[in-house]
This record gives sequence, structure tokens and C-alpha cells, in this order.
Amino acid sequence: MVKGVQFRIRGQWVCPLVLAALVLPTIASAGETDPLTPGQAALFEQKVRPLLIERCYACHSAAKKVNGGLRLDLRRGLMEGGDSGPAISPGKPEESLIIKAVRYQDTDLQMPPDGKLAAAELAVLEEWVRIGAPDPRADTAGNEKTDVDRAAARAHWAYQPLQQAAPPAVGDSQWPLGNVDRFVLAKLEASGLHPSLDADRYSWLRRVSFDLTGLPPTRNEIQGFIDDDSPLAWEHVVDRLLASPDFGERSARPWLDLVGYADQIGSANNVPAEHAWRYRDYVIQAYRADKPFDEFIREQLAGDLLTARNIEERQSQLTATGFLVLGNVNIVESDKLIMQMDLVDQQIEKVGKTFLGMTLNCARCHDHKFDPITLRDYYGLAGIFSSAESTYKEQRGVWSSVTKSPLPETLDQFTQREAALRENAKKVAAVHEQRVTAEARLKELAPLVKAARENPTAAAPGAKSLADLEKEQAELTKSLSTLEQQSWHLKYLEPSTPLAYCIKESARVADAQLQVRGNPHVLGPAVPRGFVEAVTHGSSPTIPADQSGRLQLANWLTGPASPLVARVTVNRIWQRLFGRGLVGSVDYFGVRGELPTHPELLDYLAGQFIRDGWSQKRLIRELVLSRTYRQRAEADDSSQVAIKVDPENRLLWRMSPRRLDAEMLRDAVLAVSGELKPCKGGPALAPEFMENVGGLNPTDVNPVSFSLSKFRVDQRSLRTIYRPVVRSSEQQGPAEVLNFFDFAQPARLAGDRPTTSVASQALYLLNGPLLKDAARRLATELLADTTLTTDDARLSVLYMRALGRPPATEESIAAQEFVTNRDASTTGTDSRSADSLAAWPRLIHALLTSNDFLFRL
Amino acid sequence: MQFEKQVTDQHRLNRRHFLECAGCGFGGVALQAMFASMAWAAEGPLALRAPHLVPRAKRVIFLFMAGGPSQLDLFVPKPRLAQYHGQRVGVTNLPRGIAVGTEKFLTLGPAAEMAPRGDSGAMISNLMPHLAGVADELCFLHGMQVDNPAHDLATLQFNTGVVNEVRPSMGAWVSYGLGTENQNMPSYVSIHAGSDVRTHGSAFLPAAHQGTVIGSIPQDPKQSAIRYLNDPQTPQAAQRSEIDFVQAMNRRLLKRVAEDRVMEGVIDSYELAFRMQAETPKLVDLSGESAETLDRYGVGKQPTDKNARACLLARRLCEVGVRFVQVTIGGWDHHGNIRDALPKSCAEADRPVAALISDLKARGLLDDTLVVWSGEFGRTPWSQDLSGTAPIETHGREHQPESFTAFLAGGGVKRGYSHGETDEFGYQVIGGRVHIHDLHATILHLLGLDHERLTYRHAGRDYRLTDVYGNVVREILA
Repeated sequence: MVKGVQFRIRGQWVCPLVLAALVLPTIASAGETDPLTPGQAALFEQKVRPLLIERCYACHSAAKKVNGGLRLDLRRGLMEGGDSGPAISPGKPEESLIIKAVRYQDTDLQMPPDGKLAAAELAVLEEWVRIGAPDPRADTAGNEKTDVDRAAARAHWAYQPLQQAAPPAVGDSQWPLGNVDRFVLAKLEASGLHPSLDADRYSWLRRVSFDLTGLPPTRNEIQGFIDDDSPLAWEHVVDRLLASPDFGERSARPWLDLVGYADQIGSANNVPAEHAWRYRDYVIQAYRADKPFDEFIREQLAGDLLTARNIEERQSQLTATGFLVLGNVNIVESDKLIMQMDLVDQQIEKVGKTFLGMTLNCARCHDHKFDPITLRDYYGLAGIFSSAESTYKEQRGVWSSVTKSPLPETLDQFTQREAALRENAKKVAAVHEQRVTAEARLKELAPLVKAARENPTAAAPGAKSLADLEKEQAELTKSLSTLEQQSWHLKYLEPSTPLAYCIKESARVADAQLQVRGNPHVLGPAVPRGFVEAVTHGSSPTIPADQSGRLQLANWLTGPASPLVARVTVNRIWQRLFGRGLVGSVDYFGVRGELPTHPELLDYLAGQFIRDGWSQKRLIRELVLSRTYRQRAEADDSSQVAIKVDPENRLLWRMSPRRLDAEMLRDAVLAVSGELKPCKGGPALAPEFMENVGGLNPTDVNPVSFSLSKFRVDQRSLRTIYRPVVRSSEQQGPAEVLNFFDFAQPARLAGDRPTTSVASQALYLLNGPLLKDAARRLATELLADTTLTTDDARLSVLYMRALGRPPATEESIAAQEFVTNRDASTTGTDSRSADSLAAWPRLIHALLTSNDFLFRL
Repeated sequence: MQFEKQVTDQHRLNRRHFLECAGCGFGGVALQAMFASMAWAAEGPLALRAPHLVPRAKRVIFLFMAGGPSQLDLFVPKPRLAQYHGQRVGVTNLPRGIAVGTEKFLTLGPAAEMAPRGDSGAMISNLMPHLAGVADELCFLHGMQVDNPAHDLATLQFNTGVVNEVRPSMGAWVSYGLGTENQNMPSYVSIHAGSDVRTHGSAFLPAAHQGTVIGSIPQDPKQSAIRYLNDPQTPQAAQRSEIDFVQAMNRRLLKRVAEDRVMEGVIDSYELAFRMQAETPKLVDLSGESAETLDRYGVGKQPTDKNARACLLARRLCEVGVRFVQVTIGGWDHHGNIRDALPKSCAEADRPVAALISDLKARGLLDDTLVVWSGEFGRTPWSQDLSGTAPIETHGREHQPESFTAFLAGGGVKRGYSHGETDEFGYQVIGGRVHIHDLHATILHLLGLDHERLTYRHAGRDYRLTDVYGNVVREILA
């Protein structure tokens, strides 16, 4: 291995498996060679080949391993070389890397590493290179298999057109409410299983409320549904939930997981992403308005290239492209080319994972090992994204930042900003005035202090003592420094045109060159900008020479690639409602991904999704109104077989219980305790507090940084999606619940989160402030409610609010015992109401800690 | 008692499930009480796993010097720096490859004298007299390298191998590779960990492998070492009765749904949590240590107390079978006034670190415990002046990922040995380069793990701690 001079590309994805088959077929062809002369053949076969086999193949051949990307078992391997470039320069031993290495002339490059070649061996290699490195070996040894595999991979189910199968006939024709149920029931019947009974209304309402809005139903909502005799009662609920603004907040969060959203740029030095919230709000609004998913894609990939009908739409379009630039950008990387290509890689990863369920980024360094994705596919896409601007160099140090675009303002926004600007100007003037006064006074003080120091006894009567003068001087100096901070802070806060993180077309639109093992400093030939060939059905849009191709990429995704995009998208929605995708590996539909449990259903839904104008709400509505979704989670005697045959419930013989995710958990606790407040969106960070902003001094070498030392008063009561998300540390303050309950690290683009249960979660629930505060609050409210005169009445309200149902009789008894026991065991007072004050919060705390609360059935 | 029996049965029944989805979190101590009589080592994410090779070490203590200690003031004397002290780098006949733009910086001589120590003659600064006393146990790596000059990212790379992704940390990989020797203990504990959870996270490995954080070691054993370990407002009996109430609800629900792994996991986690509250403080309580031991580490004295407690606790955790203990010792980021600040940092760290090594040796633990000491990077030969106007005597040094010094001690590495060197300026490695990937490969090798075979399948791909890099540094193997 060419140790020490290999380029280590940060953040690259290199499949270790694939090194053995590293191929760069299009790079630097070794060219046709003439047949070897007998002398050349003898030199190679008798001297060179044995030497290579004995001393080099162990680390540089397909049969063993390919360190540094260098293969010495192929003629082409020598010519193309590895990470450090071509290994030989035929005819020029002095310029050949392999000769330098075996000579041990460079301390960083000494091969073989376990001992220098003998002088005679060295001479053989030098002579061989000098005569042009004649090499009779084949160029493709070991690669045929890969090509065969690739052809097979293209036939993979996920890359085929949608199959529109008619809903199957079922034995029990009474059970299905719609076509979804027919697909599900047919599978169950084929496996000898039966669907479960319908869930009771309480369970179903709590389930659908959490799934659609992330919040539990209120007491009124529960009563309304219980009292609704109409056969359309379920439809009424679903339509209400879909129309609720809470639907947007619930639906947006999984999307942000896929985007790697955070209110921080990169993960070094706490650099704030002050405008990222606009993208977050855009996503929430898009879900609320049921923006057609194809339009959602177009806006996020190429919103800046679309035409708008009005100012608000233009704002949305520009903001949407934050999808591409909000991510874990290594803005402190001093090699800006590497930084750019790492971000391009992330953009390709994001598009691949989010829309196609593909790991496209594996092909940064080599053709994909098992999926039909080639280097050419990758660099075709790389050309699209490198023809756009995503970052720019900051003035400070080595730092870069993410590109921002000004948003057009409506007249209202403009007027408000003008007013804010005037307010800010007043504050600036006030600070300025204070500074002038302080500076003037300091000027006066200087001679006085000097005089008093030189002649301590000569102070005039009534004049200040030296100590007083010095004290005043010190205070003024200190306050001047604060005033300076304040003026920087005001400058920083100066209301500017609204900005959003956006991608822009680059002035230089060009195809990307292949990069040797993802190293942007070692280039191969250019590849025309394009898309992933293997998943294309029909003709792809052409990319004009003067355009990056983002718009065409969006059109390709929603056109020729739409079968796969629709499958992936429909599957994500299914996963959110049923807990598991029809394809379990929701982010990966590739050859090694899971097969769909219900392939016909998946295609049926995908086809219908496209025909329905890519409406997510219509799809969700159909799914949650299905009989499949209405099944109960509880098992009964007849479930015993199903539990054995299908313990993971892949065939959907019941509803799978699901623990609330971190956001739902906290939001539900706030809702239950009555603390939750609605939110219109807006900035997550609070830079208006000076203690939250650092590095304001314009001469600082590091960029402005943020901290979360202080929050706005109302921030505590908002849904968790509005809390600031940080990359480089734990989530802070009330958002700490995210650290315990499987929140997706924003540097990891993820369409699903694991559900772990570890003791730290139990400790947080038992001893942390979230449940304690809520329990105290709710207990106070319950006990203060004069309409509730008995424990039974209180328990009824409590269970309804916390668990969405009335208590069962045995629960009621247990709860009263719990309160009573506590009363009996508490000593030192015989005031019953005071004891209750202590006991009720414990009971409520217990309910909130229980699985009945933590799970939705 | 009826209830207790039910709980135990429940656990017995769901033991496999518990292990799969609940893991140990940091409930090891609690588990000890619960499952002391159970032989269950064969299952679960923390089950003992056979190494690939003959191991030279069974466990690791990683002493992480956050901030980047200055190798040029502590271990690597460079006469050129003293000779050109205060002069522009440009006049010193720059070594090849030096970073552009540094010519105008000032060469900075060492902050204190270094001298050869022990039989090995390893150079160690006068600022570290205690470490000098154990010099012959140490194996220095003078050609260390990482890829990034920013703290967060270099730290991330030191712990996970990568700077820009979420990957499992070194301790998580080791836990995954070997499990824990004591099934009743967490396998990975990080004392005084930094705020970036990724540095001790398990990423896509099962959550049981994540580092258990001990944020601060309480003076008073009643206080909580782990976040939310206790609720001081609630008496234990009251909490027990609340947990009983909750678990009764949970069991009723579980019975209704018949089978649910996560529900079972939650039930188990409450029992673990409750017992942890009682058991963890005992482990963290150092009062049972002898006066001589406490004194050796510097417990109860300033400025060593904090680090002394951490190092001593690290030994205690090793003794009860924790596989990977990380101790973070901060305060090494000397951009300004290094002559004043470095002695202070050394005074805080020197005694506890040296005491840990000699204590492990005295107890026979050093033979199979690998101690690793390193910052996330080192510091530059040239000075940095934060104010722009200060005299050279008050300057500090910038970050230097290009070369720095780490040392190892114990299980399987040469004693009293130095590997690698830098140019006469202390900037570029000229021999014995050890990139962080190489160090990772070597640590795994010493534990009996082949870094190319320790893989985990995620999103269709096999991942490694060393990605596609890494060479075992064979020169330092004993």
C-alpha cells in the first residue's frame, strides 16, 4: 500500500467490499499494446511477474486486497494506479511512483512495507519500466462477474414499472371496507390467518389522532366521536384531523429527519443557521396545504428555477431549495473543493435516499457493488449539483457558509420591516449616545486621575478622591466594552430583507469529471450530466448546456423515475401509520433491501397516488379509514396462531402497538397538562438575547456562534418541532427528551428511527422534570375544579385526558387505593386535602409513566 | 413477595427479548443484583464474543486530553524552536511542505525544560514529574495524525474515525466486538464526556453499546453521578409504590396485547432503573479506597481532585469488568499564554494519570489493560497571539492535526518505547506516521479484533471503525 501519500477523503462512502473489484473502466485507458517480443516476455514472465506476485499481490490484487486502490494484478492497474495516481510512467523509472516506492527514497512511500527489495529485484523493476513496462496480462480479469451482477440487479423488482393488479377476491367479503383491505385480507387468508376485531372507539381515536396530528384527542373530541351515531363518524374524525394545523407539524418532522435539518450550520463552533426555520415552516405549510408531492419535489430541487404566480409562492419556492443546502456541511474544511464535493455527495445521498430508496453515494468511488448504479450515474448527478452554488467563502478565517437568497417581500412585510428598522436605528442611536458620553467623561477623567496620582494631597475640597476617580474610570471602561458589544449586537439584529438558505445556479455550468476514488484532485474524463439510468422508464428530459439540470432532475423523478419515487413515498406514509413499511427498509429499496410484504398493494397504492395528483392527504385518508387500520392491537384466543406464524405482524393481522416518538411524547405531555400553545412558526434560535450570540466582533477569526442559554418565555410551551435543533451537542432544555428517545441525529439522514428501551429512558421518565411538572400542573387543575366532587369524577376526567378513555373498574379501584394508601402512609398531618395534593401528582405521574400512555395501540 | 416473584418470572421469560431490545443501557450494576445467579452469557448484544486473534489486552482506558496538548512543550524537544524562538518562521529554513502563510508567524520555544526519563530515556517535560516516574511503562507515538484542525471535528474523528457522519464510536465498536466480561455491567462508560453525543454514541450499532455518561463524580455518594439517577424529593418507598402501580398497569396491558418487545423492554427498564438508583452510588463511592491510594491519585486535593476521581473510578470500573472506559481531561487548548497555562493543566492531570498507570501495574491490571493517552490533535511550532500585540512570552500555539504525540501503556505494547518522528521543526511527520485510522486498527488488534473483520451491516453495507483505511502499527507491539 502506498502508505502516507494516500488521500483521505473526508466523509466519503467507500464500501470496503467493493475494493476488490474496483473498476474505473473509462479512465485513462492503457491503450492497445503490441505483442511482447520474446525478450520482453521473458523478462516479464521470469522476473517481473513472480516478483509482483511474491512481494506485491498480498496487498494489491483482487484476490487478496487492494490497498490504496492500487491493483498490480492488471496491466491497467499499474497505468491507472491508485489513490496517489498512476504507479508507472512507462519508459521513465525516475518518474514512476512504484520505482520511488521500492527505492525507499521517500520516507512516506516505502514499498513493500515489510522490507526493501533486494538490489537485484529493484534492478529488474527499473529495467522493466525503462523498456516501457511491457505487460501481457489482461485488463479485465475479475470484472466480468460484476457486469453480470449489474444486469441482474437492473431486473430487481423496485426498478420495474408499476404493476396494476386488480384487488384480489377474498373469502370474507364482509370484512373489507375498500381495496386496501382486499389486498391485506387475501394475504391473510392465504396464510390461514384472520384479521382482528375492530378496535374500540377510544383506542381508534387515540391512534388516529396521534398518527395524524402527533397529539392525543381532547375530552371534547372523544365525547364528540363517541356520541356520533352517523355511519360516517370515522370520516368526520379523519377529515377534522387532516384539516387541523397540527397535521402539518406532525407530518413535517419525519421529513426533516430525511433532510438532516438543524438550526446549526455544520457541526463546528456552533454556527447558527438563523434562517433554517423558514424551511421548517415551509415543510409544515406544504403538508397542511397538501401540496402535491411532485410539486413538493420540484420546489425543493429547483424552486428557484420555477415561475411564481405571486410573492408568497416565490418565497415558498426559494425557501424550498433549503432541502439541498441544509445539512451537515463541513464549513471549516480548508480544502474548499473537498468541502464542495462532500456537499454534492450529501445532496446526491439525500436525493437518492429520500426519493429513490437508493444509496447513490456508494458510487462516488466505484460502481455500486450490488445495485445498478454506476460511477457515470453518480458523476452525471454530481455535474448537476456542482453546477449550482450551495456554499460561499466567509470573510472570517477558513470558514464558509451556506448560500442565502433574499426573499421578495409583500407590502405588509416590507412595511413592518421598515418600522422595525426605525426601532433598531433608535436603539443604535441611544447606544451611540451613551458611548459618546462615556468616552467624553473618560477623557475628562484621565487628567484628573493623573493629577491625583501625582499629588495625592492636593485634592481640592469636595473633589473626588483618587480611589473614587479610579473606580469611576474602571466602571466606565467596562461599560464601554458592554456598549460596544451592544452595538455589534444591534448591527447583527438589524432587520434585513428576509433571507433563506437556497441553492443557486452557478455562473459556471459544466459536466463533472470522474474522480478517482472520490478524490476531487485526481480526475478522469467528464461525464455528461444525467440521471440514474437503471430506474428510468421512458425518455429522460434533456439538460440544456446552460442549465445545471436540477429542474430536469425534478421532472425526471416525477416522470421517468416516478414508479420508484411513488413506491418509496407511499411506503413512507404506510410506515408512519402502521409502524412498519410494506417494504421494511424504508430508505433502501436496493438489491439487499427487504422485499415488500404486499407487492401488489404497494404498486396499487403507488399508481393511485400518482393518479390522485400525488396527494398525500387523500392517500392517508384512504389508509386510516381502512378496516386494516381499524383493527385492534389487543390479542385474543384466536391470535395465538398468528403470534406464532407472524410475530412481527408483517401480514397485518392486527394493529401493531407503537411507542410514541420523542416529539409526540413531549407534545402529548404538554397537551394533557394543558400547557401546550399553538405556534405560527418563526425563528427557533433567540438571537435577540445577547447571551445567546458570540463572536460578534467583526474582526473575529471565527464566525458568529450561538448558544441556547436563554429562551423566549413562550418557547417552553410550543410543540417540539419548533425547538432549536443542534448538531454538535445534546438537544437542550425542554428538548432534552429528544436525547433519550431515539431522535434522529441530524447528521444522519434517516427515514425511520429505532425504538430502543434502555434504563436511561426510565430514569428520565421517573426522575426528570417533564412528567413531574405536568403531573403537578394537572393535579392542581383537577383538584381546583369545583365541578369534580368525587374521586370517581376526577379519575374519569384524568383517564380521559391522559389515556383517552375512561378507567376500567379495576383501574378505578387501584387508583383510589393508590391515593388512599398514600394518604394513610403520609404522616405529620391529618389534613386530607393536603395529603391529596401530594398523592394526586404521584398518581398522574404514574399514569404518564405507564405504557398505556407511552404507547398508542 | 408475590409481586417480586412475578417480576422475576417476567424477566426470566423475556430475558432474550430484554437483551435484544433493552440492552444494558447503564443498568449493569442493577443487573448484577437481579441476575447474579443466572448464567446467561450466551445471548444478547452484550454477550461475550470471541475475538478474532489472541488478545493482548482485555479492556481499554482512553484518557482523552481535550483541547490538544502541546507535544512540543511536553514530549518532543526541537532545538530549532529554542534557537529561533521569537523569530519569524520564514527565517528558519522552512521544512518542506509547511503550510503556506505561516512564514510571518513567530517560532516558539518550549514552555519548560524536557529531560530524558527512566531507562528508556523518553523525553518528558519537567511539568509532568509524576509521569516521568512511569516513563518506562510508556510507548510514545510521535507521528500521530488526524484530518481536521477544528476541535469538534477532530474529536469526532478521534472517537469515530470520520468527521462528517454519524458512525459508532470506538468504545461502541469494542463493546460490539467483544461484549462485556461481566454480563451485569455496561460495557462502555465515558467519564466527563464532552457534549457531542456522537463521540460516545452507538450510531447504527445496537443501543446497548452506547457510552454511559458519568457527567460528574459526586463528592457525596448520595448525589447522582448519572443524569436523573435520583429524585431527591421522593422517598424510595414512595417511588417503589408508584413503580409497582405502573408495572401492574404495564403487565395488564402487555397481557392484553400478548406480545410486544418494546413494551417488555420498557417494563424491564423500570426495574433496572430502580435498582440502579441504589447500586450505582456504591460503585462511584470512592470512600472505601485506602488513604494511600486516594493520596496517590490526588483525590481531595487541588488542583487534582476532579481528574483524580475520574482516573480512580476508571480503575474501579475496569476491575468490575467494564470493557471500555473513557476519561476526558480538558484544559489543553492553549492558544494564548501557554507558558502560564500549560503548567496549570499539567498540574491538574499529571498526578492522576501517572497514579492510574502505577496503580494498574501494582494490581496486576496493566498487563491486560491498554491505556491510551491523546488529545484530538497537537499544537504548532509557531506561536499564536490572540491579542495581536502581546510579547512572545505570552503567546500560545495553534491547532496542529499534521503531527502530534500520543502514548500507550499496558496490554501488548512495548514498554519504554518511542515510535515515529517529526521534522526538526516539529511539523511534518518524517517517519512512523500513525494516522488515527492506524491507531484504531492497532487498538482493535491489541484487543484481538481484526479491524477489517469487525464489521456491521447497515443500509446494505458493511461498516468498519477504520472505514477502508488503517494499518496495525506492528512496530509497537510487544
